[in-house]
Amino acid sequence: MENSFDIAVVGGGPAGSMSALNACRDGVSVCLIERKTEFGIPVRCGEGIGKKGLMRYIEPRQEWIKATVKRSVMVSPSGIKVQLANVEESFILDREKMDADLVKMAEKAGTRIFSGTTVLSVKQNTDKTYTMVTTDVSITAKIVIIADGVESKIARCLGWNTKLDLKDLETSAFARVVSPFIDKESCVFYTGSAVAPGGYAWVFPRGNGEANVGLAISGDHSNPGFARKLLDKFIEKEFPAARVYNYHCGGVPVGKWLKPLSNDGVMIVGDAARQVNALSGGGISFSLFAGKLAGSVASKALNNGNVNYAALDEYERTWKKKFGKQQERSYKLKEFLAKNGSDAFLNRIAQSLSKENPEKINYLRVFLKTFAKHPVLLYKAFLLFR
Amino acid sequence: MSLEIDKAVCDQCGTCISVCPLDALELTTELRVDVAKCIVCRNCVKVCPVGALRT
Repeated sequence: MENSFDIAVVGGGPAGSMSALNACRDGVSVCLIERKTEFGIPVRCGEGIGKKGLMRYIEPRQEWIKATVKRSVMVSPSGIKVQLANVEESFILDREKMDADLVKMAEKAGTRIFSGTTVLSVKQNTDKTYTMVTTDVSITAKIVIIADGVESKIARCLGWNTKLDLKDLETSAFARVVSPFIDKESCVFYTGSAVAPGGYAWVFPRGNGEANVGLAISGDHSNPGFARKLLDKFIEKEFPAARVYNYHCGGVPVGKWLKPLSNDGVMIVGDAARQVNALSGGGISFSLFAGKLAGSVASKALNNGNVNYAALDEYERTWKKKFGKQQERSYKLKEFLAKNGSDAFLNRIAQSLSKENPEKINYLRVFLKTFAKHPVLLYKAFLLFR
Repeated sequence: MSLEIDKAVCDQCGTCISVCPLDALELTTELRVDVAKCIVCRNCVKVCPVGALRT
């Protein structure tokens, strides 16, 4: 059959392209199906990532990195700024370039690309393979790797409950801002119920006087168009008379990761699998890791001639060993803050930290200082677990 | 009462789909609602970051 592959990857974000790239080995045939005609456009992401988190899984090309930022600043609801000087460096990425390049790398490794193609339905055949009906062709594969992002439709077709509770979704709006008021040296995070209820706003400088500015709010605090309205308000306040362009929006899954992550001939990776830090909403490094892992487990299983759950479960076991505790912890912290993270609480922590010399605020110090007084350490927690 | 999509406002981000309990929304080249499946729970209306959905 013409459109028959060993592995079909659904979705061309970092999780999908890393899966395809790492599955292409030992003669395994791989295809990647993407709804959009162009990869990486529009970018639905703040594009910030811890340097180590990225470098651990891929050697980034220079043109993927718009800026390297050494400092982080947390702004409390009442406006107290806490500067964290000794945190890990962050990269501000050019996801448009990175996503497009990752797909090109997968293609070069042998992946057949179907772009501008939406998977409409998927079913398992009697011989255990899967057939997907798309807006274009029919595609059959022995293993399907699902990487279709926050909407996670394909896993739902195959029996997973991927519907998010409103509290486990962050709805967000963001834009590019050009303004002289941008702090070029810092990633700045703003908290507070007036700024972003149940979430936070971010300003990530990307060079040339430009920044990614966005905010995410909890689904249960949302109302129609609220994220965008809050964004407009935030930009007007912090960056008056700025040039603002490239408005987009998106959802961030902040629930627990889907269980199981695989089944007979199926694996789920990235946002589709809810592999996101529930507290910070960060997910790029998890997607890279999960894609890399799922792709290699899948090709190994094919070469061993068995693609059932027992063969593919190595993916979830390894994921869990590496990130299980961290994910559970950030989810618990998110839940705690949803209940207790009042503006007064956040101001109190900021107050006690602002008396510190920023050069001396490191993870351990913040931890010792605030942990004694507060059951969680908020401000650093964004960065701690990414 | 049924769900309406303002296609000029929709950014096709798929956020609405993740909170739909009945798989009534579909995104291909544009967002569509299957009115036969939709129970008008308004989850999607509430979370839409740009307010592209209404009942």
